[in-house]
Amino acid sequence: MALSLQKGGNLSLSKTDPGMTKALIGLGWDPRATDGAEFDLDASAFLIASNGKVRSEADFIFYNQLKSPDGSVEHTGDNRTGEGDGDDEILKVDLSRVPADIDKIAFSVTIHEGQTRNQNFGQVANAYIRIVNEVSGSEVVRYDLAEDASVETAMIFGELYRNNGEWKFRAVGQGYSGGLKAMANQFGISI
Amino acid sequence: MTTLTPGANAPVDNATVSVTVTYTPDSGQDIDLSAFLLGSSGKVRGDEDMCFYGQKTIGDGMVQMTEVSAGRAVFSLDLARLDAAVEKVALTATIYENRSTFASVSQLSVSVTGGIEAAIPTAGMQESALILGEFYRRQGTWKFRCVAQGFAGGLEPLAKHFGVEVASAPASSPKPQPASAGSPAAAPAPAPAPTPSSVNLSKITLDKSRSSISLEKKAGGQYGKIRINLNWNQQQKSGGFLGFGKKSSVDLDLGCLFEMQDGRKGVVQALGRGFGSYDQSPFIQLMGDDRTGSVSDGEWLHINGDRWSEIKRIAVFAFIYDGAPNWSATDGVVTLFAPNQAPVEVRVSEEGGQLGCCCIALLENISGEVNVTRRVDFHRDQEKLDQAYHWGMSWRAGSK
Repeated sequence: MALSLQKGGNLSLSKTDPGMTKALIGLGWDPRATDGAEFDLDASAFLIASNGKVRSEADFIFYNQLKSPDGSVEHTGDNRTGEGDGDDEILKVDLSRVPADIDKIAFSVTIHEGQTRNQNFGQVANAYIRIVNEVSGSEVVRYDLAEDASVETAMIFGELYRNNGEWKFRAVGQGYSGGLKAMANQFGISI
Repeated sequence: MTTLTPGANAPVDNATVSVTVTYTPDSGQDIDLSAFLLGSSGKVRGDEDMCFYGQKTIGDGMVQMTEVSAGRAVFSLDLARLDAAVEKVALTATIYENRSTFASVSQLSVSVTGGIEAAIPTAGMQESALILGEFYRRQGTWKFRCVAQGFAGGLEPLAKHFGVEVASAPASSPKPQPASAGSPAAAPAPAPAPTPSSVNLSKITLDKSRSSISLEKKAGGQYGKIRINLNWNQQQKSGGFLGFGKKSSVDLDLGCLFEMQDGRKGVVQALGRGFGSYDQSPFIQLMGDDRTGSVSDGEWLHINGDRWSEIKRIAVFAFIYDGAPNWSATDGVVTLFAPNQAPVEVRVSEEGGQLGCCCIALLENISGEVNVTRRVDFHRDQEKLDQAYHWGMSWRAGSK
């Protein structure tokens, strides 16, 4: 049984799952069962240097830029409806290939056009994000998006960060309004 | 106090809560409130998990619709004692027969004891069935989320969403046709009858286009407890163009004339304290008197359907005890509930002039069946009603 995160908590991946070198970041949600515009959730990653910003726009991995130049973070593609079992969007992270000047990788989930469609996390059923060991297939940690970020349209789910030579994960659980644009702006990308 | 917008949630502090739904009433459309008990799959376990106008108490009494009137409904929920298999209780509002969308309902809000309020933003809504909100279990406690999502197709897709089987043709007669009717004698296996659902979502409205219906006959000719409700709007609509007309309240009394198979005749009404009897002839009982029409669910007549064979006919009437007769503005509705049958509704939609007595419906014993006919004709008083229907009683003045 994987850990279910509490906001603000952190865990050491080296201790929780010592063998993990490749992580999958899985995002899932239920397709909209009621009438109206579909829920389209997007997972993104930001490779962040010690100044808290991306080094360049190439460090922003999302549906229009699926891979980092070094190949350490890869987005496997956009799912626009949440249909299908299991994870609806997956990002792959190869921890061994993350450049040395990258301090942390932040993972965000945003609702596409949430503002104009009047949608937020609290209206999406069973939205979650989780980390899975790509090699063993076992789930390391999971976060339920609808509880902490109910009325927001963007959320930093968590971040992988370096700490004394090991990788740790922190449950950030910070919600924002403004969607992916606001999120990107915060990490130093002007859109 | 916590005010929730759609998508937001809040912890529910009390184990027992009362939920009040209020909305802007409109005489042109009927809004029905319901509650669904849902398991972990998001579906009901059976028809008994649906609390609505035809089934007001469910879950061993843990969920009840305690009050319903135009513009308001109240549910009481004993969350702490709900069956552990119930993960969610969804609260819904539906516009009867999809006559409009929730965009036309200017105010719609939910209030939960303990200080949770949720106003549903109805502007521009194309839905005619809405999940207003849901109580759900979260790490051992109950929370409430404002949902405000729904369906443009009304009650049917909503009920399907929760796994409730809906009678396929809501407007059809509830009287089952023999499977062989109309099919050639040589036909192979007759088409399988649709699976009967014990909860019938349909509400049958008797109006000018269809004025009569027979209740589905039960084994042994027993109908159980037939309940007849009269409900109306206390505040009459103001008469003037800009609302300058004077508002007046109105008190409607429910009553009936009855005729037994043995020839005995009489009247059941509050006037003269002729409340009747459920267990003895005439097997009709008036259940008290509501003088306001707005705070409770109106007046009730109970008919002992197990003794229907002894009854010949019943004329159900409403009588304006005081207040000026303005029938069409009372929003008067008579609804007949028989166990496991679709409620039959008759609306008083016509002007009755200055006449104070309205014969709303006639129940006749036709070969053992309960045949309900919409009447909505107006008479000066019960005596004139008697004469019009050739009841043949002698009358003297009475008072309540």
